[in-house]
Amino acid sequence: MTPISYYLVLSATLFSIGAVGVVVRRSAIVVFMCIELMLNAVNVAFVAFSRMHGNLTGQMAVVFVMVVAAAEAAVGLAIIISGFRALRSVETSAAVELRR
Amino acid sequence: MSTMFALLMAVVAVVSALGVVLSRNPIHSALFLILNLLTVAAIFAGLDAHFLAVTQIIVYAGAIMVLFLFVIMLLNLKVEEPKRRGRIYAFLSWVGGISFAVVIAKVFRGASEGFGAAVAARPAAEPVEGTVAAIGKILFTEFAFTFEVASFLLIAAIVGAVMLAKRRYRTTEFRSSEGA
Repeated sequence: MTPISYYLVLSATLFSIGAVGVVVRRSAIVVFMCIELMLNAVNVAFVAFSRMHGNLTGQMAVVFVMVVAAAEAAVGLAIIISGFRALRSVETSAAVELRR
Repeated sequence: MSTMFALLMAVVAVVSALGVVLSRNPIHSALFLILNLLTVAAIFAGLDAHFLAVTQIIVYAGAIMVLFLFVIMLLNLKVEEPKRRGRIYAFLSWVGGISFAVVIAKVFRGASEGFGAAVAARPAAEPVEGTVAAIGKILFTEFAFTFEVASFLLIAAIVGAVMLAKRRYRTTEFRSSEGA
């Protein structure tokens, strides 16, 4: 039986890689992928704690995180498409209309 | 054996996550992300969360990633050109990210050790398996209301996505083309 703390360290690592990706990358679509990465890292922690406590509530939380991730991906990609129509670019630095 | 498998999966997951962040081509990022999601599904299976492992493959690695790849190919994204933001910015981001990881890992370890002692002190927390039957039972009793709210959220997301991505016709153009 693998200690639960291994899974928690993995979860923290994946979350941080996703967070750095959100900051470093400029393409909006890759930023979205990094957000999915962060949601997945949280799911790993949920399932690990669920296993440790012998309780299924953590796994229910993962189910609802997946629902929210699906909704977020659908709306986010629609926003990227409509932004691409307006700006001819998916770079996050292209959307500066409100800054001018 | 189980620990070796979990460690192998963890290494693949971290490497593929780095691939998502570091590869220049968005298609490569998406494929690395699919690999990452599949390894996370294997980790779920190793933690006795069978239903979640299958759902992870079907919903995440299947549906959501197909949506991503579809949009990437629809927009015909080219390789991202080298960054203009400069090296110091990226370096500081990585330093911040690594220290963030260390802090969260420390907190998690402390929490799991504290909880672990409390759990060990309790008489018997028998391990549960996240089978379809167990998940379905708790989903439709204790979490029935949340389940309905989730369905409402999905409907709202579908309508919102269609409204956002729809091509907008100007009504005046419509009228003039009808008149012509």
